[in-house]
Amino acid sequence: MIKLKFYGLGGQGVVTASKILSTAVSLHEGRYAITVPSYGYERRGAPVNTSIVVDDIPVLVNCFVYEPDIVVVFDASIIDKNVNISEGIHKDSILVLNTEKASVLDKYSKFGFKEIYFADGTEIAHDVTGVAVPNGSMMGVLAKTGVVGIESAEKAVEEVFGKKVGELNAKAARKAYEATKKM
Amino acid sequence: MFKMLDGNTSAVEAMKLARVKVIAAYPITPQSTISEKLSEIVANGEMDAKYIRVESEHTAMSACIGAALTGSRAGTATSSNGLALMNEMIVAASGIRAPIVMPVVNRAIATPWSLWCEHMDTMSQRDLGWMQFFTQNCQDVLDYTIAAYKIAENKDIMTPAMVCLDGFFLSHSMQKIDVPAQEKVDEFLPEYELTNSYLNPEDPMFVSNVVGMNDYTEVKYQQKYAMDNAFGVIENVFDEFEKQFGRKLNIIEEYKTEDADVVLVCMGSMTGTVKYVVDIMREQGKKVGMIKIVVFRPFPYKYIYEVLKDKKVIGVFDRNSCLGGQYPPVCTEVIAAMKGADADIRDYVGGLGGRDVNPANIEKIFNELLDIYNGSSDKHTNWIDLKENPMDSREVFKYV
Repeated sequence: MIKLKFYGLGGQGVVTASKILSTAVSLHEGRYAITVPSYGYERRGAPVNTSIVVDDIPVLVNCFVYEPDIVVVFDASIIDKNVNISEGIHKDSILVLNTEKASVLDKYSKFGFKEIYFADGTEIAHDVTGVAVPNGSMMGVLAKTGVVGIESAEKAVEEVFGKKVGELNAKAARKAYEATKKM
Repeated sequence: MFKMLDGNTSAVEAMKLARVKVIAAYPITPQSTISEKLSEIVANGEMDAKYIRVESEHTAMSACIGAALTGSRAGTATSSNGLALMNEMIVAASGIRAPIVMPVVNRAIATPWSLWCEHMDTMSQRDLGWMQFFTQNCQDVLDYTIAAYKIAENKDIMTPAMVCLDGFFLSHSMQKIDVPAQEKVDEFLPEYELTNSYLNPEDPMFVSNVVGMNDYTEVKYQQKYAMDNAFGVIENVFDEFEKQFGRKLNIIEEYKTEDADVVLVCMGSMTGTVKYVVDIMREQGKKVGMIKIVVFRPFPYKYIYEVLKDKKVIGVFDRNSCLGGQYPPVCTEVIAAMKGADADIRDYVGGLGGRDVNPANIEKIFNELLDIYNGSSDKHTNWIDLKENPMDSREVFKYV
């Protein structure tokens, strides 16, 4: 069982990203996943998070993730908005981060994650799709951790976004996958 | 065919597969995507139905009753305050014997305003002549909804049914769903046929007229008779469902109860989490088990008694506050079911207004029950997830 937590801002497609991941592992890898979105009184720009549980057998647990194995941050500014993205992490927890800025990486390196996988998903999304929404591209960065295959992620991106926009976002995912660095 | 669906879309798929012909629905969080998706697929021709736009849930149910009486399979869905507003027509539907199947996305009723899950909305309707099915996951939502049509429309039952799914924990949770082919559902679920009372200008009759004190008791008894005899029909329909679709449906589902020292009884999405905790605690050598109640109305008291008759300590988890009652509703029913048995039954309340029912709290409940079983403690934490100093919570804001 792998427990993930996605953090981002309202409008960045964090819930859609969780749908992409769960679709990728469930429909393209013969595994199982459930998403448990934490809806609040969101508006565009407010911090949001969603929980995802992935397993090789049907997932029974149906509640929020408290001890994430993988944390994905779609917007690095979230830690300035009273959100503790390291809540519940353990010694093997991995961070997936949307940035390439050294100063930001420096800040995030203090949270005690075992590894950080990072790329500028927003920039890549903007370059490839023309829209600076990083949920498709960040699936590529997430794929680099091995939780999901990049091919499955690409297929799921296409399915969730629909053919035209999906193809572009799948390209963004692949580009981000190839651009991902690790520290 | 496997699809990724959330609970709301599973309900929509079920209504589509059941070939519902008239839909009248009013959107309300977290049910909204059911109304929206249904209107979308009716508009684009994917679903052959009439979609009636209404100004309230009260009218939605009124329209469904009318449609059902003219011979159309009718559908709506609601949640929380929407169900509360529908209340008058809820009783009308059951009294008139309109076998409407309605997904209800469980959410607290205001006030205080809360968009989130608890069972207060459907619990407040529990004695009004509707059957109620509570679901654990999105597959349950699809399966029990399809089965509910066949049960509700059975000529010996003719009683409407709510299929209850937890707000957000199911309504907005994406899961992998085995969606049956239309032909398979068509084989299972025959066309809706009117019997007894109907609206037909060629053959007019009074429907829902005043029934005097000379007959009212007997008419009510007919409803009771249908409820009391529903289990035989439910068992048959569930058997047929398993033969047709390969998935077993349950009136109550026992989970590792056979050799369990203590058992927790619960309903809804939390039952998945409880199974998960049972598995973990079993690995630690702790003999814990669970009963998931699916059919809450009619209440399966004989089934519960049969499983629990030799148990000494039982916990019951209600996702509903039940103000002023000695016990909340599920616990009240379990105590009544266990009348005459030698069981110490403990009531737990939690998960109100969307508060997460997490593994830590379930484990705490099981450990308390085990301590009671071992005689090392006699205490249980009634409101399991209550914060410290609750009377200090929610200050009144002034001068803002």
